[in-house]
Amino acid sequence: MDTQIIGHRTPRVDGEFKLTGRADYAVDWQAQNMLYGYPVPASIAHGALEKLHLDAARAMPGVVDVFHHGHFPRLYRSPNSPTHQDQVSEVRLPFEDERIHYDGQYIALVVAESFEQARAAAHAVQADYRQESGVIATLLDTDQEGRLLESEGTSRGDPEKAFDEAPVKIDHTYHIAAESHMQMEVHATLAEWRDERLIVHESSQGVVYQHKAMARIFGLPDESVEVVSHYIGSGFGNKLFMWPHAVATAGAAQMLGRPVKTILPRQQDMENGGNRPASRQRLRLAADRDGTLLSMLHDSTTETSFVHSYVDSLGSATPSLYACDNVAISQRLLEVHHGTPCPMRGPGETSGIYALETALDELAAELEMDPLELRRRNYADQDPASELPWSSKHLDDCYTGAAKRFGWERRDPTPGAMRDGDEIIGWGMATASWPGLRMPCAARVELRDDGSVLAACGTQDIGTGTYTIVAQTVAELSGVALKDIEVRLGESTLPAGPLSGGSMVTATALPAVAAALRNAFDALKEVATGEGGAFEGIDPESLEIEGGALKDGQGKRVSFGEILSEQKLGSVNGEGQAASGDEKGQYSFRSFGAHFVEVRWDPGISRLRVARVVSSIDIGRAINPSAARNQVEGSIVMGIGMALTEKLDYDPRDARLINNNYADYIVPCHADMPEIDVELPDNPDYAFNEFGARGVGEIGLTGIAAAIGNAVYHATGKRIRDLPITLEKVMDT
Amino acid sequence: MKEYSTPAEAVDAETTVTLTVNGETRQLAIPPNVVLLDALRDRLGLTGTKKGCDHGQCGACTVHVDGQAVNSCLKLAVMCEGHEVTTVEGLASDAGLHPVQQAFLEQDAYQCGFCTPGQMMSATALLEDERIGTDDAAVREAMSGNICRCGAYKNILAAIQSARGQSPSAQQESENP
Repeated sequence: MDTQIIGHRTPRVDGEFKLTGRADYAVDWQAQNMLYGYPVPASIAHGALEKLHLDAARAMPGVVDVFHHGHFPRLYRSPNSPTHQDQVSEVRLPFEDERIHYDGQYIALVVAESFEQARAAAHAVQADYRQESGVIATLLDTDQEGRLLESEGTSRGDPEKAFDEAPVKIDHTYHIAAESHMQMEVHATLAEWRDERLIVHESSQGVVYQHKAMARIFGLPDESVEVVSHYIGSGFGNKLFMWPHAVATAGAAQMLGRPVKTILPRQQDMENGGNRPASRQRLRLAADRDGTLLSMLHDSTTETSFVHSYVDSLGSATPSLYACDNVAISQRLLEVHHGTPCPMRGPGETSGIYALETALDELAAELEMDPLELRRRNYADQDPASELPWSSKHLDDCYTGAAKRFGWERRDPTPGAMRDGDEIIGWGMATASWPGLRMPCAARVELRDDGSVLAACGTQDIGTGTYTIVAQTVAELSGVALKDIEVRLGESTLPAGPLSGGSMVTATALPAVAAALRNAFDALKEVATGEGGAFEGIDPESLEIEGGALKDGQGKRVSFGEILSEQKLGSVNGEGQAASGDEKGQYSFRSFGAHFVEVRWDPGISRLRVARVVSSIDIGRAINPSAARNQVEGSIVMGIGMALTEKLDYDPRDARLINNNYADYIVPCHADMPEIDVELPDNPDYAFNEFGARGVGEIGLTGIAAAIGNAVYHATGKRIRDLPITLEKVMDT
Repeated sequence: MKEYSTPAEAVDAETTVTLTVNGETRQLAIPPNVVLLDALRDRLGLTGTKKGCDHGQCGACTVHVDGQAVNSCLKLAVMCEGHEVTTVEGLASDAGLHPVQQAFLEQDAYQCGFCTPGQMMSATALLEDERIGTDDAAVREAMSGNICRCGAYKNILAAIQSARGQSPSAQQESENP
C-alpha cells in the first residue's frame, strides 16, 4: 500500500494536551460534592484480622465513614471470564472476610471530606491480628515445587530421550525476582452514582472489561455502568483488569450517596496493584557438535497469591523460536503470601525468553561457537509449533542488520578479552519475539458538516500513541487533514474495543476504524447521489474519495462538508466491525527481532553499566514510526532495569514488602541511559491486516535482559543466573 | 502501630496563604498540613502537576518556586506564602507553546505523558541554570531526579538539547549580542 500518512513520522495528536497539563487522567477528575477515600493496608501477610480500632479515626475532623468487613455493601463476585470480558485482577471482593492473604491487603477504607483528612484518619486506624506461621515470601525463598498445570504443557518428539543421547548439552536453572510495573500514575478510581447508574473514572487499560466486571459485581444491567479512561499514566499490564480498590470505592460511593475518589499511595500501589511474578526456570538444551538443536526442555514455575490464580505462561514462545524436533514445556504454579501478580509488559515470554536466550548463550560457549551463529544454525523457516508458514518473518535480516551496525564481527569470544582503559567490555546478543495478536473490534466514524471527522472506539491510549494512529488511519483513507480529525477513546459507552495489552491494539482497532469509515463514506454517497444531492442520479459506486471530498469521473469534486450542508445534514455515521478470518488457519503470526548489547565492567570501582544497545525489531509496518521506535527504546530502558536493578524485596521472615517506593525499588533514570540505536525494518504484514502492522508495545522487552546478562558473562566470565544482576553478585560469584 | 499524637483540631485549623501561581495572586484558606502539590491539584484545580510518589523520589510533581525547580510534594503550601509558583499550565503563552513544549512535541519526548510536566519543568529550569553543563552527560545527570517509566529518556534528552538553541535565555543572548 502506497501511503501518505501511515508509515510516516507523525507528532502525537494528543501531544498538546499532554504538554500543557490539559490531558484528563483519572486522578485529575473531580466531581461535585466529592469525598476522598484512603485505604488502610494490613501490616501482616498471613493470618486474620481480629479487631479494628476505629473510634479515633471516626472522631477525626472531616471523616464521613470507615468501611471494613461487616460494614460494606453485600456484592457479588465477578465471573472473571475472558470470554465474557469481565475478568478482574482479584476475584476476592474487598472486605469479604477477615482473612489476610498478603501484606498490604485492604482492611478498611476511610472516607473523608478532604484528602488530608482521609490520610490522617487512615493513619489513625489500628488493628489487632492473629498471625499464622508458615509464611512463604516468594518462590525464591522456598524449595516447594508448586502444582503442575497440565493445560500449560506441550510437547513434540521425544525430548527426554534426545537430551540423554545428545553429545553436547547444558542443564541450568534461572531465577527472576518479582518486578513492579512502577507506572507513573498509581491506580485511581473516582466512582459516582447518578440515578442508579455507576460512573467510574479509572486509570484503566480496559474500560470494556471494567465496565462488565462492575456490572456483575454490583448486580446491574450493563447499560447502568460507564467507565472512562481518557488518558492513563501508563500501566504496563497492571491496569488491564480491575483491582479491589475500585470496588471498595464504588461501594463506598453507593452507601454514602456521594462521589468518592481513591488514589492509592505509591506504597499500596506496589503492594496491591500487581507485579510480574518471580520465576524459576530449568532449561535443558542439547545439540549436535555442529550446533544443530536436538532437544529443548523448558520447565517453569511462577508464583501467584492465595486469592487469585494468575499464570504467567513462561514457555509459550519456546516451541516456536527455533527449528528443533524434540521440545517440551511445562509450567507449575506456587501460591505465596504477597500481593497478586498480573501481566507485566510481555507477560510470560519476557521471562521465558530471558531463560531460553541465556541458555542458548551457555550452549554456544559449550560448543565454542559464536552465539549468533548458533541461532542462525537453528533458524525456523516455518513455525515449528504449528507447522504453519510464517505470515512474514525477516529475523535473518534483523540479525544481519543489527550485527553489522553493532560491529559484532570484531567480537573476541574469550570472556574478559576486550578492554578499554580500566573497563572490561562485554558483548552479548539475544533474539526478541512476541506473537501477532488480534481481537474482534467495533468502531464508529462520523463525517460532519464542518468538514471534520470523529472516530470513536472503546479502546485506550496508554501512551503508545493510539489516538494518533487512529487519526492517521482516518486521514490516510479520507484525505481529511489530521487537525480536522477528532479521536475518542477510553469510554465504555463507545463501540467495544480491545484491552490495551498484548501489543494488539494497532492490528485490532485500525481495521475496525477503516470499516466504520468506509460505511460512513457509503452513507455520504447515498446523501450525495440522492434527490437534491451534489451528485444526484450518479451511481454511488463510481464516486471516489479524495482529499476530504467526493469526486466523479468528470472531475467534479465536492467536499464532505458541502455535501452534508447542502442537504441540511449535520453528519452521517458509519459503524464498523473487524476481526481476523481464515488467515489464522493459514499462517503463524509472530514478530521477531535481535538485540546486541555492550556492557562495561570496571572492576576497580565495581561499576557495571550498559553502554550501548543496537536492535533491529521487525513489527511489520510501523503506523507511526516515531511512536513505534519510542516503544522499543522504552522497552530497552525497562529491560536494563529488569537485568540489573529491579527486584521486589519481600522479607523472607514475614513476607512484607521492604522496598515499596521509588527510592528503594530502582528503575533506570536519565543517567543510566546507554546509546540506543533501534531500527524498525519496514516489512508490512498484509496477511495479518490491511495495514500490515503487528504491534510494538512488548517485543522490545523480550530478549534484552538475556542480551545484557550474556554481555556480563562475556565481560566477567561469570554466569549469573538470577535477575537482577546486582553488583554483589558480580563481585561474589 | 504508632500512636497518632497530633491533636485533631490542630490538623484542621485553617490558615490563610497568599501565593502567586502562574502570575496570578491566589489566596487559600487551608489546614497547615496541605502539601503544595495537593493545594495546586485539589484546591486550585491545576491538575497538570502530577503526583507520582508523594515522597520526592520521582520528580513528576516538579514546579518552579521563585524560578527554582522543586518537588512540590515536599513543600507545604504554607511555606510558599508570598512566593511565586510556576506550573506546567504557566509554560505556554498567548504566542503558543514554550520552546521546551514544542521540542517535546517534535521529538516525541513522552509516551503516557504523566511524568512530562515534571520533566519539562526540570528542563526549563536547567536550561536557565548556568551551573549545569550543556553536554549530554551533564543534562542526563541534572535530569535524573525525573523518572520516566515509559523510558522516553533518549527523546527527552533530544528535546532539551534542541530547545536549548531557542530557550528564552538563549533568545535574549542572540537578540542582545
